[in-house]
Amino acid sequence: MDEEIVDYALGYAQNKKVEYAEARAFNQVQDRLMLRNGILEAYLSAVDSGFCVRVIADGGIGFASSNRWTKDEAKEIVDLAFKYAKAAKRKEKLVFAEEKAVKTKWAVDQKKKIENVSPEERISTLVEINKALSSCGVKVPATMCQCTIDLISKYFVNSEGSEISSFVPKIGAYVFITVAEQGKTEQAYKQFGYSGGWEAFAEWDTADKLIHDAKVLKDVITKGKAVKPAKMDLICGSEVTGIAAHESCGHPMEADRILGREMSQAGRSFIFKGGPYWLGTRIGSEAVTVVDDPTVAHSYGYYAYDDEGVRARRRFLYKSGVVNEFLQNRETAARLDTRSNGSSRSMNYDREAIVRMANTFVLPGDLTEEELVEDVERGIFMKSFTEWNIDDKRFNQRYVGREAYLIENGELKYPVARPVIETTTPKFWSAVDAVSKKVEYDAATCGKGDPSQGAPVYTGGPCIRLREVYVR
Amino acid sequence: MRDELNRTEDIVKKAKSLGADEVIARTTSGRYRQVRFSGNQVDTTVAWNDYVTDIALAWKKRVVAGQIHDFQDVEGNVKKLISLAKVSAENPTFGGFAGGSFRYARSKADEKLRDLDNSTDYVFEGISAAEKEAGSKIDSGGILLTKFEDVYLASSQGPVGIDSRSAIEFSIRAFAEREASGHGVECSSTLKDFKPARAGAKAGEIAKMAKDPKIGDEGAYDVIFDPLIFGSSIGVWGGMVSAFSVMIQLSVFVDKLGKKVAPDFVTMRDNPAAYSLGNRVFDDEGVPTRENVFIDHGVLKMFLHNTSTAKIFKTETTGNAGLVFPGAWNLEMDAGDMSKEELFGEVKKGLYLTNTWYTRFQNYVKGDFSTIPRDGIFLVEKGKITKSLKDLRISDNALTMLGNIAGASKERQHVHWWGEADPPSLSPYVLIKNVNMTKSR
Repeated sequence: MDEEIVDYALGYAQNKKVEYAEARAFNQVQDRLMLRNGILEAYLSAVDSGFCVRVIADGGIGFASSNRWTKDEAKEIVDLAFKYAKAAKRKEKLVFAEEKAVKTKWAVDQKKKIENVSPEERISTLVEINKALSSCGVKVPATMCQCTIDLISKYFVNSEGSEISSFVPKIGAYVFITVAEQGKTEQAYKQFGYSGGWEAFAEWDTADKLIHDAKVLKDVITKGKAVKPAKMDLICGSEVTGIAAHESCGHPMEADRILGREMSQAGRSFIFKGGPYWLGTRIGSEAVTVVDDPTVAHSYGYYAYDDEGVRARRRFLYKSGVVNEFLQNRETAARLDTRSNGSSRSMNYDREAIVRMANTFVLPGDLTEEELVEDVERGIFMKSFTEWNIDDKRFNQRYVGREAYLIENGELKYPVARPVIETTTPKFWSAVDAVSKKVEYDAATCGKGDPSQGAPVYTGGPCIRLREVYVR
Repeated sequence: MRDELNRTEDIVKKAKSLGADEVIARTTSGRYRQVRFSGNQVDTTVAWNDYVTDIALAWKKRVVAGQIHDFQDVEGNVKKLISLAKVSAENPTFGGFAGGSFRYARSKADEKLRDLDNSTDYVFEGISAAEKEAGSKIDSGGILLTKFEDVYLASSQGPVGIDSRSAIEFSIRAFAEREASGHGVECSSTLKDFKPARAGAKAGEIAKMAKDPKIGDEGAYDVIFDPLIFGSSIGVWGGMVSAFSVMIQLSVFVDKLGKKVAPDFVTMRDNPAAYSLGNRVFDDEGVPTRENVFIDHGVLKMFLHNTSTAKIFKTETTGNAGLVFPGAWNLEMDAGDMSKEELFGEVKKGLYLTNTWYTRFQNYVKGDFSTIPRDGIFLVEKGKITKSLKDLRISDNALTMLGNIAGASKERQHVHWWGEADPPSLSPYVLIKNVNMTKSR
């Protein structure tokens, strides 16, 4: 990564008739390991490095990037970005919301530096997970285990005087298992993610969690009963709470989606100006507060400053059940006459920064998990999910239980096979009457952008109890 | 171009001299331009140039792969990969890279797309076509992407080749009302066959018909799939015929080889032909690509292979190698014998679905899944569209739906959009019987 080239690109851009210019460099040391049934299929190792320039000229935005680190190339991409910005010929001129210049350096620390962990240790860590699974007493005929390691360095400068350098090491793991019993199969996947060093693996407890899942799937096959469709209470475990928070709160609160900028791909939002839901509208019960917070230490979605140089902070999306604050970058904030809240992220040098979530979760309440269950006469405890999806306006969603139990008279009875909740966003969040104390996170890769930009995030929350929802 | 190929071959020679048993290097010089628009205006135009060499090498059945972006120290990069291979773990199922000397078809990439620098006018052509169909108040958004790649491949096992791959694709979603939208795509490998107005007109036409939608009813329907949504379905099945998907149980086709999986008239193939966005003359091992009929008159005939998976399945590579795993390039379903109108005429009471997203599985081997139709959803009665609907979900089984295909149109469209109708495909209108639809309660 050559910061001099980046500075040169910015300077060259500023010599043109631009309203705004920025240059961003990105260097990513990548390792990818994939094991199939405990065998290393391939070890991928690469360094991806390049820089981009974004300008506003004549109220249009142009973006260009390259991985050739020369001043001639820098000139060429600035010329391209400038030409494309002018070619937009917009009737409504784009501007960015005001921000102060920032000069800083930030980094995420590692207890056990990834750079000091040998490839052999990386491989053996994954092999051991597979060994533990194969000796857990459950027939697991197929496993796929992936590990991703990224050491990400960035350098950002803009025409307002910002200059920000950062370094974030990220580790991810993804395990997919198939369990077979009695001629039937069930499948599960689990994803882990962390910003920091190799200590992540010790904190994840990967093998134990997967052995637990394997046993759960066996129980679903051998003991699981279908649920009799009816209205009943539903307790969502943190994994289910987390996916709901991400999909039916985080996504519809992205301002670019609300403004229609993602309409053709990621879609729009049920929240729009002049519609039934807007800032200040009730969407859920008093018990529901959903936040998006990039500042959770060592979280998969951690950052201190976003990719427009705006300081990160916690955003209260649904606050006590009320639509409270959208996720904003500088472009959307200007269009909605507000300020950016640091939600602009880019996953590589050749991708524009767009509005993204970081770590989206429900804030805790004051009950224990046992107290939530005690107060249910008949219901389902859906601890984790398998199939899930939501429409592109983020209104109609569906979660199918992976680990789920029938609750009768305040006690867990037997496993339930694939219970389904299929409901709307306001019905889901309005049905919540109680929230437990303990927040847990799951790692996920959020999809958005074209070309796609998979963003590392946490989803999570406590257990939440929904009253009288239809489960089938 | 010869210089680029020489540099690629030098990387292979270098890796061999440093001890690799087998090496493939593939250099891609890519030029990509994308216009993004919404509210009928251009939001941004994005340009990216990329020059990268991908390397895959094996040392004593240890397989490693990497990329060179910085060509200041090629030897250092290669040495690092060799060192990594030497401490890596053996893959006993690695069957080597493809060997041989091949003659490749000449690339038919369109040089006009190499030089096309500003495609904004095509965007406005598409928007105008949507407005013509549905009125000037229509709200359109989407992308226009042009791509030109020169690809240079060299393998220590013999294959050496040059390919050029061109593509232009336009995706437009138009809203006639807040909940009345249509989506159109136009995909081509050449500029002369690219007609963005067709996509705009289709988006506008569907959006206009979709006005004032009502929440649909649950139940089993006979459903006409538009080529765009069928592109998602064939993408699912096409992904599941990758031998690697079968090996890791991400496929409904586990243990189904040689078995009847669809009615007699259903034939599906992978074909990276010159017309398609997935055009290529060789795969990532340097094997010439070809047509591979994986479902032949309803029978599952083959999986898609690279050299290693082919050896595991005791067969030959099908020219579908990626640098590590095999996959489909461009899927096709053979045309049926009915016109689009005749196909609609087969439906007494059913649905016409135009697009979908978020296809998610409970269990890939069983095939239970759901997906959420978006844009126009229509009730069809006695072969005619009678009502616009919304908020329905397909909750069914991928294998059952394949078996329930009941008709296909003569007319086919080359479709691709984002990750939802991917890989690209040539899809007809397709009638599938008894599709289970659910809704929020």
